[in-house]
Amino acid sequence: MNPQSGPLGVLGENEEEHLTAEIRGPSIHSENPQERIQARRLRIAARLEARRREALGEYLDGKKESEEDQSKSYKQKEESRLKLAKLLLCGTELVTNIQVATDIRETHRRVEEEELRRQRLEKLENEVKTSHDKFDEITAKWKEGKEKRIPQELWEMLNTQQEHCAGLIEDKNKLINELQQELKMKDDQYVKDLKKQSDDISLLLERMEEQVKSVMKTFRQELNHIEKAFEVERQELLISNKKKWERALQAHNAKELEYLTNRLKKVEDYERQLRKQRVWDFEEYNTIKIKLEQDVQILEQQLQQMKATYQLNQEKLQYNFQVLKKRDEESTVIKSQQKRKINRLHDTLNNLRLKYAKQIKQFQEDNQSLTSEYKRLVIQYKELQKSMRHFTLIDDEKFREIWLMNEEEAKDLISRAFNIDKIIHTHHLGLPWTAPDFWFLKNVGPISQKQQKSATQILEEVLMQTEEEAAEEAGAAPESYLDLPKRVSAKTTRKILMLLCDESGFLIESKLLSLLLPLEKNECYLLRLDAIFSALGIENEDDLYTLVNFFLKYQAHHLPSSQDRASLASSMEPAEQLDLQGEEKQSLEEEEAPSSPRLIHPNDVLKILEAFVMSLRKPRDSRAPVKLLKEVRDNSKDSEYWKALATVVSQATENLWDGLYLALEKYHFVLTQRAKLLAENSALEQQNTELQALLQRYLHSKINEELQIPPIQVFQMPTQPKRP
Amino acid sequence: MLPVTGTQEVVTSTASPPSRSFPSTQDRPTTAGQALSSGSKVSKSSAVPPPVKSKGLNSGALVRQMRRIIAEDAEWSLATVPLLTELCIQHIVKNFKNNPLLKKLLPQHQQKVLKLLSPDLPLAVTANLIDDESYWHRCCVLRWPVCHLDSHGSWKRVFFERHLENLIKHFIPGTTDPAVILDLLPLCRTYVRRIRVDQFLPPVQLPSRPHSAGDQSDSGSEGEMDEPTMDHYQLGDLVAGLNQLEELDLVYGVKDCGMNFEWNLFLFTHRDCHSLAATIKACHTLKIFRLTRSKVDDDKARILIRSLLDHPALEELDLSHNLIGDRGARAAAKLLSHSHLRVLSLANNQVRAPGAQSLAHALAHNTNLLSLNLRLNCIEDEGGQALAHALQTNKCLTTLHLGGNELSEPTATLISQVLSVNTTLININLSCNHIGPDGGKQLLEGMSDNRTLLQFDLRLSDITQESEYLIGQALCANREEARQRTLNPSHFLSPLTAKGPENPAS
Repeated sequence: MNPQSGPLGVLGENEEEHLTAEIRGPSIHSENPQERIQARRLRIAARLEARRREALGEYLDGKKESEEDQSKSYKQKEESRLKLAKLLLCGTELVTNIQVATDIRETHRRVEEEELRRQRLEKLENEVKTSHDKFDEITAKWKEGKEKRIPQELWEMLNTQQEHCAGLIEDKNKLINELQQELKMKDDQYVKDLKKQSDDISLLLERMEEQVKSVMKTFRQELNHIEKAFEVERQELLISNKKKWERALQAHNAKELEYLTNRLKKVEDYERQLRKQRVWDFEEYNTIKIKLEQDVQILEQQLQQMKATYQLNQEKLQYNFQVLKKRDEESTVIKSQQKRKINRLHDTLNNLRLKYAKQIKQFQEDNQSLTSEYKRLVIQYKELQKSMRHFTLIDDEKFREIWLMNEEEAKDLISRAFNIDKIIHTHHLGLPWTAPDFWFLKNVGPISQKQQKSATQILEEVLMQTEEEAAEEAGAAPESYLDLPKRVSAKTTRKILMLLCDESGFLIESKLLSLLLPLEKNECYLLRLDAIFSALGIENEDDLYTLVNFFLKYQAHHLPSSQDRASLASSMEPAEQLDLQGEEKQSLEEEEAPSSPRLIHPNDVLKILEAFVMSLRKPRDSRAPVKLLKEVRDNSKDSEYWKALATVVSQATENLWDGLYLALEKYHFVLTQRAKLLAENSALEQQNTELQALLQRYLHSKINEELQIPPIQVFQMPTQPKRP
Repeated sequence: MLPVTGTQEVVTSTASPPSRSFPSTQDRPTTAGQALSSGSKVSKSSAVPPPVKSKGLNSGALVRQMRRIIAEDAEWSLATVPLLTELCIQHIVKNFKNNPLLKKLLPQHQQKVLKLLSPDLPLAVTANLIDDESYWHRCCVLRWPVCHLDSHGSWKRVFFERHLENLIKHFIPGTTDPAVILDLLPLCRTYVRRIRVDQFLPPVQLPSRPHSAGDQSDSGSEGEMDEPTMDHYQLGDLVAGLNQLEELDLVYGVKDCGMNFEWNLFLFTHRDCHSLAATIKACHTLKIFRLTRSKVDDDKARILIRSLLDHPALEELDLSHNLIGDRGARAAAKLLSHSHLRVLSLANNQVRAPGAQSLAHALAHNTNLLSLNLRLNCIEDEGGQALAHALQTNKCLTTLHLGGNELSEPTATLISQVLSVNTTLININLSCNHIGPDGGKQLLEGMSDNRTLLQFDLRLSDITQESEYLIGQALCANREEARQRTLNPSHFLSPLTAKGPENPAS
């Protein structure tokens, strides 16, 4: 729907399709005041419009300047568009102004009409009322009239009635006249309105026409403007393009020329090159031709050869093919066999698997049984060990018994030998005999090293001894030295130990200390020392004594340094002591022993202990395996012992005995010879007698007589010589 | 048309144009035209100037003259002899009435035949046979000095529509044979889409009653009544036959009656009303219905509108310049909610505040109506405020005409509020009201928030020139914006009519 015609189409019947208006002119001079007002307003509106257009134009100009690149034609188009839009708007406004004016006139008329109608209605109502009153009056008088009997009165009344009626009718007529007057006026008005409307319509048409004209004119103008702008732009474009084109053409021509010259040069160059190339190519062609012909010959030869080889190869290959075929057959056979084999092996594999499973089961069972057996064996082994221990004990005992038995036997034999020797000496040789005296003869029981006592035992001993000593007298002391072969007096040891015990209480556990409190002094010492020793790692006698010695040595070495602190009395001797070091040390120490504890300052104890522990650690490691061997009994001395026992009879006596034996042997031999000979003699005598008896019998037998040669004769011959 | 002295003369004068007399009057010029056209045709084909001139001069006797001239003419050549096809075509054209041969010809020959055919051939022959535009253009130009194609679409349509309108205009009930129109129906039913009749003639009233009784046998039942029947032509049969009809524009009145004016001439009777209502109800293709200047009062308006309720195609209803009051307005309001009406015009009626309120109520939730025209009513502030309230919720209306409605400042304030809220309104007309300077200021405030309004008519509404000018500027800015929007449609979906004022300028 075209909006231009849309609103106008709605406007009504007195306007049809149009786009026309006039800008100014007749409307101002119109006889209609409304029209004039309208026209003035329009003028103002037009001015405002112009102003606004300027503003808008400026705005648009600004916009355009921002887009400077927009072409002139675009500018012109935009300008024209705005201008024409304004024009159209103004025009339509101008045209529709007439309609608006009539509209407002119509509304005014309607309002007036309404007012008038209202007045008229009021008037009519009033009239109706008054006439009604009058009519009532008249009708009331009729009644009065009926009562009147006197004709004059009646006539008079009738007259008045008539007058009244006439007045009423007159009133009505007046009203009617008035209304008719009004109607006439309205008719006049209507005619005027019609005229005005026709005027309006003619004005409208005029305006429309003028508008159409002006719009067409402006459109044409604007079109011209735009066309001109386009033309100018086109011209400019053409010129610029032409310039460009010419420039490009010139450049192109120049380039073309350059190219041409270049090309000519190149052509010449190429021609030269071509000629050269042609010559060269010809030569090359010839050479190549020759070469190629040769090659062809060679290749033909090769071809022949190849053909031969081909034949050969073909045969070979055929042969190979045959072979391979056969092999293939074989292989198929083998394959089938293998397949069969595989099947069989599968079967066996399955069987084996079954077996394997079975065996696993079996082995598990075996394993279980074996473990149980193993356990049993372990138990047995333990029992065996127990029994072995038992047997060792028993063996020891047996060994001892056997030892004793053998010893007894040996000693018996020795005593017999001694007795025999005594007899020999006394009876055969007539020499006095003295019994030899050997240490081993007194020995009873197996030889064994004495067992080392443990440190605590020693301690106990030491302490007990000191106790005893304390109980007895100091004079008895030398006897008790026996048990301490280490050349340290028990007293010294004891004192050292007491010192140690006092100073190194830190080595004892606090719990133990609390336990020790209620005990006796000696026992207390004993337990304390025991704990200390276990802490220091002292286990046996040797360790204990090395400790004691260490103390003494240390004191000896460091005495000079500690001299100042020690008592003056003891400080005199150390110098001599140092001089007397060596062999006499043992005795010296014994002598000094009583004073030593006093010499050792309690503060030094810890240092000494530390040094001792450091030194003790080294030998301890090497001694460990020795300890293990201790269990095995040392039987090196046994053979010695037994040899000794065996060699109780000395070589000299033995030699004596040998000689004696030989003599006695010889003597015995002689004696036996004599005895033998005696026996032989007697036997021979008996034999002789028997033989004589036998001979007698043979000779006397009858057989001899029957034989030609009697054996007696043969027989007699050898028997004779033998007889001697 | 000539001034008429009496009704009878009116009848005679108006009755003369219809079809019977029409061909006779047109007979001579057409033959001449044919001769001329044929002459020109020949000249075109022969392209030799001298014989053409001579031929054109003595167009009456053809053959013998030609031979004689040829015999003496030194310049004669075979080229001047018309071709056989030409002769055949001429013959076909001559006998077209009896033997219409067109479809069997070759296209170029068809063209020639159509060019040569006379426009006054009987419609029964040409109507369904000829589709050529130029032929119908010639027909139109021949019959009517002023012809427009723009509102019709094709020249054939123009011809048939105007022909039909002419017939209806000059139909006199009781005198003219209804078959005159109904005979045309099968010929024109596919071409007529619009009937625009601005005159319905009343039945003839003969001065002597007894004479007229025989003539008015059609409306015999009412013949005895005091008031003569003034029913007009009943459109029912015609409209039922036109299956393409989309627009019906009627004015029940007489044109150019001059001093013979009588109120009776302008009577839209109840029977007319009922038959028209039935007609428009039966016509399902009708899109536009206009009935203006026909003294339609409330009752008639209600009858018509009731028949239009739930009409499937109706888009525009124009009942302007009638006598519709509040009840009719209420009926129209009901129609708004029961149809797809897009344009409603009740301009120059007697709608007052209650009617406007009912319209406003219907408008508040309407989604079809684009244009509402209440020009020259008297809805006053009460109705104006109701409409303004309705516009606050309405999202469809684009055009609103409230000119000459005795509106004043309160309505203006409300409308200014609407302006800042509503984004669909494009055109508002508040001219010829008493809005006053303060109202103008308020409207200006409302305009400052609006970006869619393109036209806002405030002429003669007592507002100051300053505010009018400023509002005009705002409108101009809006228009420029709308133009930008249409040029770059990607930014915004432009409203239907946004293109409007810039169209001719660009």
